[in-house]
Amino acid sequence: MPSRDELGEYYKIGTQLAPVVHQRDDWPYEVGHPQYVAYMAPPHDVGGQADVPVCYEEKEEELWELNAYVTCEVLGWRGVWNAEERRRRGNNDLGLSLYYGFPYYGRWVWAAARMLVDKNLVSLAELLEKTAEVKARNEQR
Amino acid sequence: MNSDSTGSRGARFNVGDRVRVKDLPNLFYTRTQMYVRGVSGTVAARTYEDLIPEDEAWNRDDAEREQFYIVRFRQKDLWEGYPFELDTLQTEFPDRWLEPVSG
Repeated sequence: MPSRDELGEYYKIGTQLAPVVHQRDDWPYEVGHPQYVAYMAPPHDVGGQADVPVCYEEKEEELWELNAYVTCEVLGWRGVWNAEERRRRGNNDLGLSLYYGFPYYGRWVWAAARMLVDKNLVSLAELLEKTAEVKARNEQR
Repeated sequence: MNSDSTGSRGARFNVGDRVRVKDLPNLFYTRTQMYVRGVSGTVAARTYEDLIPEDEAWNRDDAEREQFYIVRFRQKDLWEGYPFELDTLQTEFPDRWLEPVSG
C-alpha cells in the first residue's frame, strides 16, 4: 500500500502529464477544426512535429527488453496476435502520456498484457493478482 | 476496382508515375504520415502485395491484398522553406492511398 505521501505524489504527477501546451479543456461542446485534427492525429505519427535537438544514445538492450521481445514473438507464434500491424497498433494506441512516458519495450509489455485481457485469454483480476504476486516475490529478494 | 482470382486489387501505378496521396481523415490508427497527405510525388518502386494497415491492424486477414509502392517526394514539396533543391524523402503506401496526377 502506498503511504499517503506517495499517493499524493502519484496524483500530482498525473495532473502534470497534460500536454505541453496547456489549454483548458473539459469536454467542451464545440471543438474548432484545427483542434479536432490535432486531437485525432494518432500519437505515433510524430514526423513533422517541431522539437529541440535530442541526444542520440547508443544503448544495448537490457535483459528485460529482450524478454519482452521474446514474449511478444512467442505470443505471435501462439496466434495471439498474428498481424504485425495489430501488434504495432497495440504498442502505439495507448494515449499520448503513455506513448511518450514509457520506454519502447515498456509499450510492448503493456500492449501484450492488454491484448491477453482483450482476447479473454487472461482475466484482468487474474492479471492483477499475478502482478501483485510477482511484485511481492521480487520485494523479498 | 478489378480484382483477380487471388483476392487482390489491381495495381494501378507504375514506376515513374506521378501520384498524389489522398487527404483522408485520421481515425484511430494510421501508417500514412500527416505531412504527405495531399502532396504529389513519383512512384519509385512497386514493392509487394499485402493487407493494408487499416485491415491488418484489426486482424481482417481475409481482406483483399493491395499493391504497395514506394513514393519519392521532393523535400521542398513537403516543407515550406526547405533549403535544398535535390533532397528527397521516400515512404510507402498501399494502392488505395494514392490517386493519379494528370500531366
